[in-house]
Amino acid sequence: MKKDMTKFGITLALFASVACACLAVVYAFTKENIEMQAEKQFNASMQELFPQANAFDKIQDLASSDPNIKFETAYEVKNGTIPLGFAIRAAGPSYGGTATLLVAVDLHRSIAGVEVMELKDTPGLGMNASNPSYYVDKAKKTTFVGQFAGKFLTDPFEVKKDVVAITAATITSRSLTKIIKAAGDAAIAYMDQKMAAPPVDSNASQQQNSQPQGMQPKAGGK
Amino acid sequence: MDLIKIFILASLVNNIVVMRFLALCSYVGMTSDVGQSIGMGFAVTFVGVLATAATWPIYHYILVPLGLTFLEILIFILVIASLVQLVEFYLKKNVPGLYSAMGIYLPLITTNCAISAITFENISFKYNFIESIVYAVAVSIGYLLAMVLLAGIRERTKTSPVPKFLQGTPILFMETALIGVAFMGLSGLIK
Amino acid sequence: MKKLYKVFRQGLIFENPLLMLMIGLCSAIAVTTSVSNGIGMGLAMTFVLFFSEVIVSLFRKLIPSIIRMPIFLIVIGAFTTMVDLIMKAYFPDLSKSMGVFIPLIVVNCIIMGRVEAFASKQSLGSAIADSLGMGLGYTWVLIGIAALRELLGNGTLAGIQVMPASYQPILFFILPPGGFFVFSFFISFNIWLKRKMEKAERKKLEAREEAA
Repeated sequence: MKKDMTKFGITLALFASVACACLAVVYAFTKENIEMQAEKQFNASMQELFPQANAFDKIQDLASSDPNIKFETAYEVKNGTIPLGFAIRAAGPSYGGTATLLVAVDLHRSIAGVEVMELKDTPGLGMNASNPSYYVDKAKKTTFVGQFAGKFLTDPFEVKKDVVAITAATITSRSLTKIIKAAGDAAIAYMDQKMAAPPVDSNASQQQNSQPQGMQPKAGGK
Repeated sequence: MDLIKIFILASLVNNIVVMRFLALCSYVGMTSDVGQSIGMGFAVTFVGVLATAATWPIYHYILVPLGLTFLEILIFILVIASLVQLVEFYLKKNVPGLYSAMGIYLPLITTNCAISAITFENISFKYNFIESIVYAVAVSIGYLLAMVLLAGIRERTKTSPVPKFLQGTPILFMETALIGVAFMGLSGLIK
Repeated sequence: MKKLYKVFRQGLIFENPLLMLMIGLCSAIAVTTSVSNGIGMGLAMTFVLFFSEVIVSLFRKLIPSIIRMPIFLIVIGAFTTMVDLIMKAYFPDLSKSMGVFIPLIVVNCIIMGRVEAFASKQSLGSAIADSLGMGLGYTWVLIGIAALRELLGNGTLAGIQVMPASYQPILFFILPPGGFFVFSFFISFNIWLKRKMEKAERKKLEAREEAA
């Protein structure tokens, strides 16, 4: 009986180790690609929002007024030394889990654009926020997030009054609007803070350009 | 995230069976009788919470620090299978009454999509431990609810005139669709 | 060879896993909101089913019966993880839109069921035929349901606008209840098809007996 148990144990262990070894190999092969995918998406979205950007200063610890909305990364976006605006990767609760948006704010204190990074809402309803062929304004072909472009952060952001909601997806519309507003306000607050206390030496301190990995400096366009 | 919101979303608005199509195998197979469905529902709740309590720490304190996250699927499913075995042995020996009531459902839970889904989603939704437990309980209760509802309806339709082309399994899914529509109305609970 | 073809054919209609055997439903209906999801899931499932059946069939004499379940889980789990990793790396959009359903392939009743009931007892050739038949049977149903749901509920097929612009999509079909609704008709259709085919087979047999 004991001999059988050891035989079973060994067979199990053998299968398990072969399985783990194979997986480790596949993982080693795919790991880079997987990590690159997240980068690629981020960079592609950045290109859309700020076509002339080629320098990104990382903003550390951007404060969020809403404890549920977290800013994963925030950048001051520049073309060389000319500031263009801010890009914040903000995550907040939505209908089907956490939604992650890339919110671009320009120096006029308006939203430059919004890109949906991650969204797990109901297909056909909330997911239409990330559907490029779903229009809240069919005549002008404006998508849900597209309607925020050019909107001033001092304007009201009430869903169904100032913001067009996605049909039958009010909760998603509200959640995403909240995230966009929070990111926008944070960017403005940061901008005000910087203007109140300007940097000591504007050119020299700009040399700590930390570019996101993988982003090739280009003067607009792919 | 708000615990109450998680609970309502997971048990009602995003009901695991009726809105997310999971655990259908047991749903179709174990709802011929209301008692059966209650038994299955409780068994799932029990194992679900245990599985969460076991897999969440394993992921966060063993797999992540060692960079072995790609073993998540393998480890989780083995943990669930072993847990079910252990629970079965324990109940058989120490609580025979409960075992005879619940024992037959336990082996089926190993491949129950709901339990596995709970463990995977605790990770992908980035819940902390408390949120994970709440999620596990909520999903299981939603499962129980859907099971009991369908069992009740099935008992009724046994004596109703069902159109010929819908007899058998098709009518079951029609019933599920209707339950689903009703549940969708509950989405107003979340502001 | 004819025997292998018969094994293959079973999974397509007579023992169609989704419509006849009623297994593997879990991930099936959920991914049928779009044809691309349906194809993706079908292929992923077939991949895991194929390799799991092949490995188990190859090693069937070496797997002690008592521990066969954990071993099956290890094999299926390993291939599911492979599919998950490959999709995350090379098809990230599809992977994201399918979400938790890829890892859930590991508890897909079809794979566990076929591995246990078939691959562990049959030769390699039969295992290959069975896995391909079942996989294809699964995939065609998925594509069928997805096509209907996506067409009626969204006006598109695999993302390409098919219905005229004036078509107002019937949202119901994209929603979960719509999935169940469409699925019940598919089951009904398959039962009818099965009966028809059985009748035809019986007639053929009778004709042969008459001639004899």
